[in-house]
Amino acid sequence: MQSSLGYKIAGLLFGAGFGFVLAAAKLHEYEVIHAMLRLEEAYTFLLMAGAIGVSMPLLWLLDRAKVTTLLGGRIALSRSKVTKANLVGGALFGAGWAVSGTCPGPAVVMLSSGAGLAVLTVLGLFLGLTLRDRQVARAGGSATIGDGEQRTASTGS
Amino acid sequence: VQIELDEFSDGRWPWWIAGPALGLLVVGFFLVSNQPLGASGAYAETAKVLTGRKDAVSWRVWYLVGIPVGGFLGVTVVGDGFEARTGYEPLVEAWNSNWVVGAVVLVGATVMGYGARMAGGCTSGHGICGTAQRSPASLAATGTFMAVAIATTFLLGLAGVK
Repeated sequence: MQSSLGYKIAGLLFGAGFGFVLAAAKLHEYEVIHAMLRLEEAYTFLLMAGAIGVSMPLLWLLDRAKVTTLLGGRIALSRSKVTKANLVGGALFGAGWAVSGTCPGPAVVMLSSGAGLAVLTVLGLFLGLTLRDRQVARAGGSATIGDGEQRTASTGS
Repeated sequence: VQIELDEFSDGRWPWWIAGPALGLLVVGFFLVSNQPLGASGAYAETAKVLTGRKDAVSWRVWYLVGIPVGGFLGVTVVGDGFEARTGYEPLVEAWNSNWVVGAVVLVGATVMGYGARMAGGCTSGHGICGTAQRSPASLAATGTFMAVAIATTFLLGLAGVK
């Protein structure tokens, strides 16, 4: 479904902002991610805590104040119950993340910073995601859309 | 103290700037679009477009295009600039072959993509955007992938990866 122009522009700009910060924090560097996962450097854990520490209370306040968003109507938070897929999928994701040393956002920054083998990382991500979508579609279901992904019910998207 | 010195000497933004900046982007996008900013879902929508399906959420594709553009700017303005390299130097050093590293990375990324789609999100989706909404599903997925990633990295260390 086609999104409105406003959504596309906002998506492009916020994507660029997101990528800029990832690069400024060097989260696209294998060494930075592995220094975190080897528990040798607190930097990335603190960064994530800083991101959540700012966004969690602000979203809570905005939700309580029933704020109307610019393009998407009244602000709505998603708070789904835990399913087995969250845990099994999370475990697979964690193993793949450790091996490839990057996750979906930083992977494309890795690529645009000149890392040649990141072509395979991005290709693998597309393969894995599509594989799962095909498998779910064959079983007659639809993909798990987590609380951090787009809500298609929202207006304009 | 050591960590802070490192941050400044290698040109990274300190965590207390970069972390809150990411948090404000998440909140800002809610204020504009009433949507969270998970990256793995953007891949899935882009894959739909690439395979000619008509039901893709098209703003997600623009989001995925924005990330490497902003990343390139960030690397140029704040970081060390664009540099042609493998990006996996520690793995290449451990296994001494770009082919082996490439194959391992491809398999790893495929498992990562499959897992992200199964879990319904990744580090940005569940880890930041879902957690920020106080979602039980996102908290559980985040705790799981963090724990498994740390354990897997430990195993890689046993296999000689620094």
